[in-house]
Amino acid sequence: MAPPTGPRAGHGGSRPSSRGARGGTRGAGGIGKRRGTPRTDRDGDVSMDSINTGNPPTGPAAHSTRGNRGARGGRGGGPARSSSRLAQNVRNYVADQDGTAASSKPQFNKVTLKIHGLKESKAASNPDGGLRSLLGFLERKSSKERPITLGRGTIQGDHVWLKVNQADAPHLLRLNGFTYAGAVLAIEETNGPMPGQGNQPTDGADTKPSDTKDKLMAVLASRYNPEQKLLDLSALGADPILTTMGAFESKPLAEKSFKALMRITATHYDNAAEKDAAIQAVTLANNDIQDVVEVFTMAQTLPRLLRLDLSGNKLDDFSKLSKWRHEFRRLEELHVVGNPVTNLPTYPTQVIEWFPSLQILDGRRVRTPEEAAEALRLWFPTPLPRLPSNLRDGGNNVASTFLGGFFALYDHDRIALARQFYDDDSAFSLNTGAESASSAYSNYSRNLDTIGVRGSSAQQRLFTGSNLIAELWARLPATRHPSLDQADEWQIDCHTFPSLADPSGQGFAMGLAITVIAQFEEVDPTQQLAGTRPFARSFILGPSKPGAPHPYRVISDELTVRAWKPQETSVAIPIPAVGPAPAAPAAAQAPVLDEVTRAQMIQELSRQTGMNAEYSRLCLAGEANWDFDLALRSFHEKRADLPPEAFVLPA
Amino acid sequence: MSANSHETNVRCSCEAARNFVDWYYRQVNDGKSITQGYVNGHTAYDRAGHPPADICINGLVVATPQEWEKLLEQQRQAPKQPDPNKRRVRYEVEGYDAHVVNADYRFAAPQKMLDVHAPTDGVRMMMVLTVTGTVYFGTGRDKGDDYWEKQNFHDRFILVPNWDALERPGTRGGRKYLVISHNYRAN
Repeated sequence: MAPPTGPRAGHGGSRPSSRGARGGTRGAGGIGKRRGTPRTDRDGDVSMDSINTGNPPTGPAAHSTRGNRGARGGRGGGPARSSSRLAQNVRNYVADQDGTAASSKPQFNKVTLKIHGLKESKAASNPDGGLRSLLGFLERKSSKERPITLGRGTIQGDHVWLKVNQADAPHLLRLNGFTYAGAVLAIEETNGPMPGQGNQPTDGADTKPSDTKDKLMAVLASRYNPEQKLLDLSALGADPILTTMGAFESKPLAEKSFKALMRITATHYDNAAEKDAAIQAVTLANNDIQDVVEVFTMAQTLPRLLRLDLSGNKLDDFSKLSKWRHEFRRLEELHVVGNPVTNLPTYPTQVIEWFPSLQILDGRRVRTPEEAAEALRLWFPTPLPRLPSNLRDGGNNVASTFLGGFFALYDHDRIALARQFYDDDSAFSLNTGAESASSAYSNYSRNLDTIGVRGSSAQQRLFTGSNLIAELWARLPATRHPSLDQADEWQIDCHTFPSLADPSGQGFAMGLAITVIAQFEEVDPTQQLAGTRPFARSFILGPSKPGAPHPYRVISDELTVRAWKPQETSVAIPIPAVGPAPAAPAAAQAPVLDEVTRAQMIQELSRQTGMNAEYSRLCLAGEANWDFDLALRSFHEKRADLPPEAFVLPA
Repeated sequence: MSANSHETNVRCSCEAARNFVDWYYRQVNDGKSITQGYVNGHTAYDRAGHPPADICINGLVVATPQEWEKLLEQQRQAPKQPDPNKRRVRYEVEGYDAHVVNADYRFAAPQKMLDVHAPTDGVRMMMVLTVTGTVYFGTGRDKGDDYWEKQNFHDRFILVPNWDALERPGTRGGRKYLVISHNYRAN
């Protein structure tokens, strides 16, 4: 979303949007008079037209100062003018959010007018040099066929400079020669540039959009409680900053200002999750709200709000609350006390029904957390429950043994890994899914969804044979996988299946299908930032050919990597390089033992203690950190606590 | 070079993968049946005594494709939601990849198939297919629709030839490959 480009873009009148023209920023000045038919738009912008704003029922008298200025030419008074200017700025943000205003666009169809005669007029003695009343005069006179809204003019020398919509220009040029406050006006179109902004302040009450934004931001900041994650928007009409700005001096303006506050809230956070985490509670107490339509936008800005206080408003009927009945699905706590609606007989029932997560209403518990979870389930599809790893690998722990060795070697010595478990028929490919950021993986991604199934890439990015696979692995970033002992970090599902080709060429062989989902640590090579990358890896294991180092081999290895994310703790732990250097990198890592040694230690511990292989492994990998003596000592200390299944069953 | 990575086999496996992915996720997103894509109940395999497809959903072993359909149906439930664009579950595939794991697949193969198709013909193939993407909960029909919750999903299928369909080419709707193993995880 493009930010406002500056004061000019902030003009209601400078945008082609119908909002500016119909929004009632003119008339005789101020917000009082509106044209246009009633309209209800989707973003809750209802009351702007539907309420008779000539006499806002609750807002302070917006027009009480009208006429006090005594400005000749009849243009409206100061506060109203300032309000309408503010409204334009505010609307600029709101429109920006709606995507209706492209900040660069309006300049294409603008015409610059040069107007002579103001200095000679009686209005020149007005405090602002008569500019405001001149603009009012021009608007009134040119608005014969349809309302025309003018932007801000600039007085430079004897001329007033004004940018207007191309379509409006003929109507204004027709006024050439009109008499204004005793002087004849000369209006001409010019190609000359507008005099620089800010050289000559023309409208003291004008506020730049950035100022407005800063002020609204200040309001939000002063009302945010980080401990309670609470945004206190109560009694906004009494807010000192907002009062100075005049932002809440009429009901429609108050609604616009509220929308702007919401807009700033929404854009302040990088993403929805951050926003939801930062703002969990809002109070809108004591705001004279008659219908939640007036603050509807909040449901879009903070859809996952947990606590909301609406107390002390003027909601008198369920219809005044019902616009929110499909919103705030996570709302757990709501306060409506001090609103007439609470006196209705069906009050609590109806509200409880509308907000499925609601547990506390006006301080009373109305649902248990379990009941709330159940009620919410009826509103949205619910993901299937997740169970831990499901290992059905034929009872020999083949999968855990293989994976333990596999990931340790993948992290430290990929060449050795390829030699041990891969042969000439093994296939490897990787797939980055829809990852948008380019990474070391991107060029090798065999994502058939993006490279197509017929192109040469599908052939080229399939790596067959241990040599090619090792070569590719050397080009991939160094990784560190969590230990398999950290069961929470892994989802491993596996099972055996029939009908692989037997390498001897005779009959069928059983295969083992393993799917692993976890994340590994990876350092971003350009910035040396530590981070993690979620991955999924699917292995098909089958029997080895005669003479291979292991009884089984990898037939297929498909690695899916997801987007890398920086680690929250900024401490970068060095990950050993896995380059193609033939010198065994594992040797450089003192605590890292190769799998063969580990297997021998497990076997020996199992022999000495009677524990089975799994528990022996746990014992060694735990506190002992592969120190055999420590592991043995720890076994003797904890022997009494070990369950019977820790031991090898007597045959 | 292994028969598994023979050019024809690679091309055919990629095309089979695409066909399967297109079909499977369209059926799932439309709430239509996916049971015919699994090996269960297909004559040639049943007669030869092939075990039912191994289906493991988020760590839970599911006995039949019908039960997996029931889980999908259960996942779609949102009875109170009045807005049809807030009660769908939509799987969006973001990537998939396939390998041939046995180019000389013979289980339950009719003699004719063994005679006609060499292991380099890209027909008698057992394949492994992995699919990754995002599943959106509480959303509409179209990509980019607003959603209530999302998860990453990873599917892994092992596919084998559907001899019934291969023997009678041109049969409408017959899947060319059948699932003997399906692993699903969504996080």
